[in-house]
Amino acid sequence: MKVSVGVIAAALWLAALGASAQGVSDAQIASIVVTANQVDIDAGKLARSMAASAEVRKFAEQMITDHTGVNKSAIDLVAKLKVTPDDNPTSQSLKAGGDRNIANLKALKGAAFDKAYIDNEVAYHQQVIDAMDKTLIPGATDAQLKALLVRVRPAFVAHLEHAKHVQSSIAKQ
Amino acid sequence: MSSHRLRSNERGRIVTLDAAAFRWLAPGVAVLGLVIAGLVPERGAVAATTARQPKTHRVTIEGTSFQPDRLTVAAGDTVVWVNTDPFPHTATSTADAFDSGSIPSGKSWKFRALKAGAFGYICSLHPTMKAQLTVE
Repeated sequence: MKVSVGVIAAALWLAALGASAQGVSDAQIASIVVTANQVDIDAGKLARSMAASAEVRKFAEQMITDHTGVNKSAIDLVAKLKVTPDDNPTSQSLKAGGDRNIANLKALKGAAFDKAYIDNEVAYHQQVIDAMDKTLIPGATDAQLKALLVRVRPAFVAHLEHAKHVQSSIAKQ
Repeated sequence: MSSHRLRSNERGRIVTLDAAAFRWLAPGVAVLGLVIAGLVPERGAVAATTARQPKTHRVTIEGTSFQPDRLTVAAGDTVVWVNTDPFPHTATSTADAFDSGSIPSGKSWKFRALKAGAFGYICSLHPTMKAQLTVE
């Protein structure tokens, strides 16, 4: 299986997410959650206009909708809790990785774009789920912040399954 | 078998059994009600009317899941799906029996179940969400 540069880049920055999220504060978790959602919204917006496959464009549209909704809940909760999201190495790494993914995608067209976008979506959702399980959910001290993470986790699982489905579907075309 | 039990019992399964039993009993109860109306009008009237009262059942969509994920209702009952997640979902029968279309965050969708059967359904946006509606 050919692994694209984008996937390797994604794996590197997402590995950083898992490694550096140890012992995070609620303010840092808030920043990580908002950044992680925003990164996927940005990739989705690019894919919505650039993807060749209608199935990929539909997936991208749903990622924009769902992650925008999750971010709104997260931002509302953070405001209610009077927590100021604290920028940290993990959120910075997420942002940098997201920017690299966008730059990589912008150089591609057609089926190559679709494949790179979806491959990254599979890797991204898997790594975010791992980070939620290993560090973000266990690390959250505020009960409402923890509950929010637990409540949105199944959506990430559904997105991962959906992305894998699209991945195998476009591979057959 | 009493109308009081039907109204007060919150456990779907037992209510459903009662409702199923009522379909057998209801015609008899109605006739009996007419016959004995002169003697015990109040009891006869209550039994005949409340037995046929359709119920409304709620399925909460939360955390990308249907709660409860198994629901049994009587034919004629209404099911309301309430989406409490921050993004849209659907309640879509896998056998084309019903399809809510997109239910936005904070909104709901109603369906009056008339046809008996066991209907598996999913959220077409998040097919990991699986549930079943049984109509008796």
